[in-house]
Amino acid sequence: MTGMPAALEFEKVSKEYGSFASRQSVRALDGFDLRVETGEIFGFLGPNGAGKSTAIHIAMGFMRPTLGQGQMLGRPFGDAAARRRVGFLAENVALYHRRVDRLMCFYGALNRMGGARLGERAREVLRMVGLQDQAKRNAGKFSRGMVQRAGLAQALMNDPELLILDEPTSALDPLARVMVRELILSAREAGKTIFLSSHLLSEVELVCDRVAVLHRGKLVRMGRTSDLLQSTEQTAIVARGITSDAFGGAVSQNGLVTMTVPISNQRSVMQRVWELGGEIVSVNPVRRSLEQVFLEVTADAQPPQPDGGR
Amino acid sequence: MLLIAFNFVREQRWPIFVLLLWVLLLAFLGLVADIPRMREDLLFLFKQVAVYVVAFSIFFGGSAIYNERKSRRILAVLSKAVRREQYLSGLVLGVTTACAIYCFALGLTGSWTLGAAGFPVSQVWFLMVCLVAACMLAGTVALMFSTFLNPFLAAGATALMLGVPWIASQTVAAGWGYVIPVSALTNTVLKSTFKVPGHNEWFPVGLAVLETLAFWAVAARIFSRVDIAVAVE
Ligand SMILES: Nc1ncnc2c1ncn2[C@@H]1O[C@H](COP(=O)(O)OP(=O)(O)O)[C@@H](O)[C@H]1O
Ligand SMILES: [Mg+2]
Repeated sequence: MTGMPAALEFEKVSKEYGSFASRQSVRALDGFDLRVETGEIFGFLGPNGAGKSTAIHIAMGFMRPTLGQGQMLGRPFGDAAARRRVGFLAENVALYHRRVDRLMCFYGALNRMGGARLGERAREVLRMVGLQDQAKRNAGKFSRGMVQRAGLAQALMNDPELLILDEPTSALDPLARVMVRELILSAREAGKTIFLSSHLLSEVELVCDRVAVLHRGKLVRMGRTSDLLQSTEQTAIVARGITSDAFGGAVSQNGLVTMTVPISNQRSVMQRVWELGGEIVSVNPVRRSLEQVFLEVTADAQPPQPDGGR
Repeated sequence: MLLIAFNFVREQRWPIFVLLLWVLLLAFLGLVADIPRMREDLLFLFKQVAVYVVAFSIFFGGSAIYNERKSRRILAVLSKAVRREQYLSGLVLGVTTACAIYCFALGLTGSWTLGAAGFPVSQVWFLMVCLVAACMLAGTVALMFSTFLNPFLAAGATALMLGVPWIASQTVAAGWGYVIPVSALTNTVLKSTFKVPGHNEWFPVGLAVLETLAFWAVAARIFSRVDIAVAVE
């Protein structure tokens, strides 16, 4: 334990969804441990049905864990006072059908905001998500992407210390995704903590300091984004002044030869380049895409269970 | 809490509007009818409309949480600094307000049509107070059941809970009507005639308020333990 309290912490949380009717239960989370430090952008990855939303809903106090416990901003899950300092955007958020500016004021007021500040902040957040021109329109007539923007705006109303976003970019166009990314980065500048769940690896890769990968309710990988992407097994060596046929699997382009070799062979390959009169241009660990990481950790996946989620 | 209540009323504005149409019908009849001659019919219609509102309070109370959950809108609300019991009190207040709006309109038309027919106006308003109290209690009982049952079962359970004392009050002893005073209160409305407009008995009203608090407390206890598991996408 470090001195600073964690922004969000799960301790051996398990959750089973039971059903009286079907008499079968789905284990959505299984002994799930996670600690999100204050001030970081944390990516929460996992394929559909991995249990990401379940974990988030437990943290927000919508549900109780079957086993285990946890804290949010130093208070046990479900504490209303802690929620006041949290902004939450649900997956497929649904809002009431009314003018967006009034809607923002409504959600702000639920967090006991009031006075002139309320209307001012409503305008501010709508500007932040690019809805300032739609402020007087009814949210019931919005497209999915616009609803999602409005949902993000309502989560920002209270200028939260901890922002929990469940698949925030699922309905957004590329431009809006950039906007969300910038919002997240500027929130970190301001010292906020962001917990971002996604099944889109590219989203997470660009902004997150650390990521955790959840698979079937279990944490399968966790670490700094760069470490996770770095392969410990392979390096890419780029050389000049040799021909590619001297090495199996090497690719030649514009006079540069690139070869990917196991780390254990790195030394001997470099020596051979020099022996052949070549010159080493660069030696780099191979960066894997998160897609690869994803495929690796989910490789053990058997076909989805018949009752499994979509 | 007030916000949630107001929000509820806003969301239910169409059902409330439809209900108000009934009141309008009564007003319309009052306009065209020969009031003194048709006064028994008017009173009958008045009572009928009054009973509808109790049924609607059960419907409102039983479906409120379910609708919010089904539409996933509950998440954005409960993600704020709103405790579960505050959320519930907002709904109780919302159901009561919705019914009170209706009762107010009914009271207005009633005091005009029935008043013209010789029914004491102050008694009309007393009956409306009884009705609001009955709605509040019925709505809260329905809300309590709906925290763990689906709207149909919740409405059924509420009907059972309110119906059994009513039947007992008819068959066994009138005192049973006071166990859950919805039946006593509705009876006050139903039994009133032009000859005997009924006496001002405040006891069941006070009892209804107390029981509302009790059922609200039970509902809050249950609701703070249930999972708000929304539909899976
Ligand atoms: N309300 C629910 N009732 C029953 N099972 C559920 C419910 N919500 C989620 N599940 C199941 O729990 C698992 C995890 O779901 P979820 O947390 O929504 O995953 P994710 O958000 O990672 O896509 C899935 O198998 C899903 O079918
Ligand atoms: Mg999800």
